[in-house]
Amino acid sequence: MPDSDVIAAAKTRLEESGLPSDWLDIPVHWGVKAKEQATPESGGLRFEYLNVDVYGEVPEHWDNNTEIPRGAVPDTRTEQMGYSIFSKAEVWSDLCAGLYEDAIADRWNSSADIPWDTLAPVGSDLEHAVCQIATLISEYGWTKAQTTGRWLQEISYGYIEVKLFLGTVVFDSARLYEVWRKRALSNGGGLGRGGRNWKFLPLTQSYTFSEFCVASIMHDAMLISLLRHGHRLAQTEAERRIYELCEQDIERHLKYFVDHMRYLMLKEPVRREEIHRYMNKAEWYLAKDGDDTLYSALGVILGDGREGAEEAMADVAQLRREQIETYLGYLRQCHLGDREGRLNEELRKWAGMVELEEEEKIPV
Amino acid sequence: MVTVDKLEELNLEPEVPELDLSWLNLDTEWGVSAEPGRKGLTLQQINKSLYGEIPATSADSSARPRGAAPPEGATPRMTPWVLGDATETFSDSAALLYDEAVSRQWSSATDIPWDTMDELPEDIERAMVQLCTSLTEVEFIAGDVPGKWLPRIAADHYESGLFLMSQVMDEARHTDVFRKRALANGGGLLLQGGGGGLRQIIEAEDFTQMSSMLHILGEGFVQSLFRLGELIAHNEAEKRIFRLAAQDESRHVAYGVTHLKYTLDNDPDKAEEVHWTLDMFENTLVDPDQQNPGLAGALVYLLGDGDVDEGWRLFWHVRRKQVLEYLHRLDVAGLSGRLESGRLHPSLSGALDN
Repeated sequence: MPDSDVIAAAKTRLEESGLPSDWLDIPVHWGVKAKEQATPESGGLRFEYLNVDVYGEVPEHWDNNTEIPRGAVPDTRTEQMGYSIFSKAEVWSDLCAGLYEDAIADRWNSSADIPWDTLAPVGSDLEHAVCQIATLISEYGWTKAQTTGRWLQEISYGYIEVKLFLGTVVFDSARLYEVWRKRALSNGGGLGRGGRNWKFLPLTQSYTFSEFCVASIMHDAMLISLLRHGHRLAQTEAERRIYELCEQDIERHLKYFVDHMRYLMLKEPVRREEIHRYMNKAEWYLAKDGDDTLYSALGVILGDGREGAEEAMADVAQLRREQIETYLGYLRQCHLGDREGRLNEELRKWAGMVELEEEEKIPV
Repeated sequence: MVTVDKLEELNLEPEVPELDLSWLNLDTEWGVSAEPGRKGLTLQQINKSLYGEIPATSADSSARPRGAAPPEGATPRMTPWVLGDATETFSDSAALLYDEAVSRQWSSATDIPWDTMDELPEDIERAMVQLCTSLTEVEFIAGDVPGKWLPRIAADHYESGLFLMSQVMDEARHTDVFRKRALANGGGLLLQGGGGGLRQIIEAEDFTQMSSMLHILGEGFVQSLFRLGELIAHNEAEKRIFRLAAQDESRHVAYGVTHLKYTLDNDPDKAEEVHWTLDMFENTLVDPDQQNPGLAGALVYLLGDGDVDEGWRLFWHVRRKQVLEYLHRLDVAGLSGRLESGRLHPSLSGALDN
């Protein structure tokens, strides 16, 4: 039977049974066969492969406030769902779909993928220091998951790839929280002191998604520079593995945040000064927070105990300099290289950069 | 303007952070150890001594991990308000369910045997992609909702927070896998749904009310359907999708049931509020104006493999199972009697007679 006859017969059967059959009349974009790209060599059926025909057309402005899937036919009776982001420039990165699949492919399990049995007593000072660092990273994981999660209800289905990727960021952040909690509670120590965390306010208070992104770049850059020193800081194989796996996750998040900000700068260069304002705020809070617990704990680890900590602080200063340089490096990738000349003066000291002339200082 | 050249020329030594060792003498519990077990080092294994004590109430709106010492000096309020009473969000099973979620993550790209999908007759393919259009839509909202609540979960009740974070991930994968199925085999996306109560879930301003709608009734119905996925699927790929998605939904439903149980055990007065919420949500679910005109038809069509009479018969079998399982879950949670008291919506109680 020709297809049109099959559909007509199906409609008749449904109508005779009192069921709506309109959905069989919808002019569908027939013939999309994403499965053909799903080979083991291509990583299976990745989300990128769905973006063909109308389904791959990501609009500059999405004008539907319901949960309608991109490419489906609207039902005009559906209630509005309260989304607030309908602009591609505000959230987009071409990397999203791929990063989403990468996150799933790279998934790990803190219960089973960390060789916990390699933990061994390391001495009281070192254990205290590791646990203090674990407490602070754990706090950041919690904050990162909460603040990322709240954006999901703002972003419309037009930018589904972004939302899927942010879902992985929330989940990765949950793991960041719990793997460090596990480390603190598994080797004869306990949790340390919580941070003051004024520095996280730019994440919790952000009014626009891009504001949240630049604050995330700053905090993620600070963290990843630290994680990259895992080979020096880790006392055991278990810790080395934690540092590596967390670094892999944060690197993925930064790829998105950086690529999105690059996209925004390209699409809406008029927002450059506004974005600098957000960075002024984020940097000011970071500098003003003045919570040196992290760096002192690093000093104890690098100094192999409290006696060597004072001397090790010079090393810690270099690590903190690297954090600022890493942050500025990511901003250069976003076409925000001019930040180097506008960096918060306290952070300039951390990085060993020359002080700004008086008229160049940024008032906050 | 300071140039890069000038910066390099004038590079200074970085400022050395002040050494403060006061954190070496804290009043937190010390000497805690945990040994990995058969499943590795799970949350349950580290939830011991002081660190495993769940406070009934928490006024802490910061991100400070439970059991950590408070910081010195002033701290900011991180969120306007938190759900500080454990009865509002807690579940005794949350830690276990999170651990399970982490160990059972799957990939829609590589864990579904997409190559088992042969071309289907056009009527069947259309019915399947209509069903998947509706499902990707439902799962989209199911991910937004826990995201909305995350900033309100107290860090002292972190187990529930972690569970909701895992749910965000699961729902992303469900949104993704049903979109993939719609676009994988020559079909496409069809008609959007008519709401079906999704708005009521997202607009709820009480966590337990939200959870009763989302986890117990909404996801419960979806889970019952997915568990009968064998009746709908036409190939191994579709069977696998329903099986894996059902496994995830089971965790979400379990969280909802155990949360409600915890709430009712500790705050029995909440029962009437939840009954009222379910009155409203059941009514919305069966309201013809809220129904996706394509969903019921597509489901009946798939269940009968094109035979609409047989499809109807199986549809009522599914609906009966959905209602029975729903009532059972409410019983387990301590909210029994909806059927006996005549409170269950007649359209649902009627399904039990079919």
